[in-house]
Amino acid sequence: MPLVPVTEPRVRLDGAPLRAAPLRRFLLRREILLVLAMVAVALASGLHESAFLTRSNLSFVAADAAATAVLAVGQTIVLLTRGIDLSVAPILGLSAVVVGFLGQNHNLPLGIGVVVSLAVGLGLGVGNGFLIAVTGLPPIISTLGTLSVYGGLQFVVCNAWSPHTVVNIPNSYVNFGNDNAFNGLAWLVVIAAAITAVVAVVLRHTRFGRSLYAIGDDAEAAYRAGIRVRLVLFCAYAACGLLAGFAGLIYLVHTGSADSTTGTDTSVNLISIAAALIGGTTLTGGKGGVVGSALGAVFLSLALTAMVFAGIDPIWEPAGVGALILLAVVSDRRRGGTGSGALTRSAGGAA
Amino acid sequence: MTLGSSHRLAAIFRSRGGRGSSLDRGWVLALAAILVAEILYFSLTVQGFFAGGSGLLSLTEQFLDIGTLALGLSFVIFAGEIDLSVGAIASLTGIVMAELWKAGLEIWLAVAAAIAISALIGAVNGLIIALFRTNSLLVTLATQFIITSTATALGGGSPPFGFPQSLLSYAGTGTLGPVPAQLIVFAVLAVVVVVIVDRSRFGRALVLAGYNRDAARYTGIDVSRTVVGAFVLSGFFAGIAGIMISAFYNAARDDIGLSLLLPAVTVVVLGGVDIFGGRGRVAGVVVATFVLGFVTEGLLVGGHGSLTATMVTGIVLLLCLVLKLQIDRHEGVSLGAELRRRLGDLFPSSVARSER
Repeated sequence: MPLVPVTEPRVRLDGAPLRAAPLRRFLLRREILLVLAMVAVALASGLHESAFLTRSNLSFVAADAAATAVLAVGQTIVLLTRGIDLSVAPILGLSAVVVGFLGQNHNLPLGIGVVVSLAVGLGLGVGNGFLIAVTGLPPIISTLGTLSVYGGLQFVVCNAWSPHTVVNIPNSYVNFGNDNAFNGLAWLVVIAAAITAVVAVVLRHTRFGRSLYAIGDDAEAAYRAGIRVRLVLFCAYAACGLLAGFAGLIYLVHTGSADSTTGTDTSVNLISIAAALIGGTTLTGGKGGVVGSALGAVFLSLALTAMVFAGIDPIWEPAGVGALILLAVVSDRRRGGTGSGALTRSAGGAA
Repeated sequence: MTLGSSHRLAAIFRSRGGRGSSLDRGWVLALAAILVAEILYFSLTVQGFFAGGSGLLSLTEQFLDIGTLALGLSFVIFAGEIDLSVGAIASLTGIVMAELWKAGLEIWLAVAAAIAISALIGAVNGLIIALFRTNSLLVTLATQFIITSTATALGGGSPPFGFPQSLLSYAGTGTLGPVPAQLIVFAVLAVVVVVIVDRSRFGRALVLAGYNRDAARYTGIDVSRTVVGAFVLSGFFAGIAGIMISAFYNAARDDIGLSLLLPAVTVVVLGGVDIFGGRGRVAGVVVATFVLGFVTEGLLVGGHGSLTATMVTGIVLLLCLVLKLQIDRHEGVSLGAELRRRLGDLFPSSVARSER
């Protein structure tokens, strides 16, 4: 251990201080804080402009967050292992254009489209997993490389079809994107919530899930405890790709269009990381969870919509995201964040 | 760690000494060989790629802005941090320069003021990171968004264009004989960076802080100040790159720098600088600028799309780094030494155990 005395408070996996009283601990959970913040933002915006609190606006906010939420859930899985996936944007994009073209030009049924999107995501995720777990390249470098490779592939795929953009998806796709499950709650939102719940259970209650936390916390200890570090890492990146692929389908049916710049032009990578960070997951691994990340995505959507209602020029939307990340960073520090280095060596070289 | 620290420090200084190891020098040579091979390949296979020596030189204008960003970024990466805001800073600097000039300021004063502001933004990045002791990836991710918004708000609606000839000829498309002015600027900057990293106290502190934070602290290095310095330099170089881009296109745009961030990171990494800090050579970054630049230009001149070029860039990066990893692992004792070093950074306690 470093000679410098350790002054940071001991924290639980979810980040709340250990010594705090149960009620305080509950209230300090990032998820609860986020929900409170969302209520505050919604009420403040509602007072300013009552249209904000209408059912149609709130369901728009939720539906808009669905793709980001699924993406952030996947990103969280790799962040927990002290990794990062910079290639989720082109994975989302590739999945969206492949399914989009198959639907537009070949009338692919929606059910098979879902399978195709998952397969595209899984395949590309396995590519990342191979680079990280087998060759041992650091995640940030591997996924920086695949970001370029997959981005180029997306362009190649778009040029192989004519026209080069997806603009006319079948009605079944459009309906899937617009239909409500009940009371203004879109199916997309229900599905995103279900995915979040399933992954949350997997993280908390399966050997694989606990291994992710263990590796992120201390890869060497995890290795010595008998966890197959490389295999778990491989699966983590494959799972992240799988979810990014499905996020691509959500994006496609939600927006009804896709082209060679889908994903890459909207800094999807960074937004997915931002949502996870706002949700309380750290870059240094072993801390956080997917429920927070999904809530972080909804919070981003809500806050950005609130900015529009407050009459702030959309130019400042990125700045809003930036300010929220800074806020999350500073509050992280208060919870006992990390001290040194931007990136920490991950388990690739250790196992 | 307690018992072994003096021993480890001695070893660190023996192996560092301000110069890279022979392995790093080998990587620079390998890159140089790749560069020669690819120039030969494109000259032979792509019509119009080799338009004489001066044609080759003028191709460099297409990617020296990326190289300049990469030079600045290497300070930060040497220190074990990362700066995602360099692209945004470059855009903002171009816009600020243009707006100041439009407001009536003399062009070179506007350039100086804009670059000063870029260094100041770097300082703010560094100070947030040092004061909150927080993660630079997060902080610069956030400031990147904020800087981009500011740039769009300042000049996004009507991108300023049509700068005076003096700026264009010294920083844009001008030449000195057959040599592009940008190449001269880049060469001067590269020498400056080599001197700072290899020959100055600050440079040694920088590399050691990236190699081992705790060791750097015990030797009396003010790590926080070093990190802030790295970010100031990174911002400063991003500012210069922003001026170069604006002068080259004769227009300042708010979105022009963002697309250069990942290529710049790629150049630094391809140049053999350890993404986790503390290891690498500036010469590698310089050569990698040309390796990546000529690959891209070769493909573009050959009629391929820019995204195809991006894809090839990614493949080159991955292949080179997997190759480098294999070399690192198999050269001499470095497999064990490298693993122990990596473990030592991640798990100080386990190394202390094994040293006892």
